[in-house]
Amino acid sequence: MEDQEILLKFREPATRNVAFNQLVRKYQSKVYWHVRKMVIDHDDADDLTQDVFIKVWNHLENFRQDASLFTWIYRIATNECLNFLSSKRRKFFLPLNDVGAELTQKLEADDSLAGDEVEKKLQKAILRLPDKQRLVFNLRYYEDMPYEQMAEVTGTSVGALKASYHHAVKKIEQYVNDTTD
Amino acid sequence: MKTPFRLNEHPRRPAPPLAPPPEDYFDKLPLRVMQRVRPQEPAAAPLLGWLTALSAPLRTALASLLLLVGFVGTFWLTQRALPQSGAPLAATRQSSAQALAAVPRAEAVQYLLSDEAARLSLAELSETTVADHDLTSAFLPATDAEIQAALDEQPSVDVYL
Repeated sequence: MEDQEILLKFREPATRNVAFNQLVRKYQSKVYWHVRKMVIDHDDADDLTQDVFIKVWNHLENFRQDASLFTWIYRIATNECLNFLSSKRRKFFLPLNDVGAELTQKLEADDSLAGDEVEKKLQKAILRLPDKQRLVFNLRYYEDMPYEQMAEVTGTSVGALKASYHHAVKKIEQYVNDTTD
Repeated sequence: MKTPFRLNEHPRRPAPPLAPPPEDYFDKLPLRVMQRVRPQEPAAAPLLGWLTALSAPLRTALASLLLLVGFVGTFWLTQRALPQSGAPLAATRQSSAQALAAVPRAEAVQYLLSDEAARLSLAELSETTVADHDLTSAFLPATDAEIQAALDEQPSVDVYL
């Protein structure tokens, strides 16, 4: 079902639930992985993904279509992730690096990196980045999202995003080189 | 010599190496989301449903306005209940004086000399005197000789304030 059709059906009370069900099915995987890459833990990602769609339900009627539905949902997901990480830091009085360390522990517990030392260092380096820079890196490196769309999702200028991604790459390369014997 | 790591030379994965979610996770997720959004539908009361359509700042502003109206209304009603001029106060004083004048003189003297009168504190008497000097003379419309005689009858061991 196309986004426009989903929106039209959502505005009709009789077809609202069907339309929303279709919307969740269409975007759940993208939203989940977008969130998962930021919070690493599946349970946290699950909670946040549900929260994202609840917010979508609550505000979809007022969605003005200035951006595409996908971009709008991604923006909600991004804000949820950043708020989650920020509140976690406040809750446990953690500095920036400690959240990265916690995420690294979760990643290592995942056991998906066994045997690949360079990839392990790369992931550790990514998790050491500040939240917003990591978000930019994920969108560009893993999802290959155009900078213009990233600007809509993050509410940041294209120039600032390019600079942020460039710095992130430099930091990652520096970390991997420094930790390699 | 080791080759420095370059990210663009590293094989790019489509996603970080994270374990996939449970197998039926994406089959069940829409249902779980729908279960969380459905109970909210009847939550809005018919009369107050329009409130949910307002934005949060607008709802806060409305609540503040209602609170302000409540304060102003209470103040206005309180002002209406209070006397607007000195006339009703004067009428009250006059009726009090008349009521006191109606008390027989002997009974008033007897009351003042009794134990009950001793319960009055000096502060109370002084306040009454300060409030209205004429009022005290209305309490005891007796001659000096009558008062002196009544006082002389009191036992000398009594202590007066």
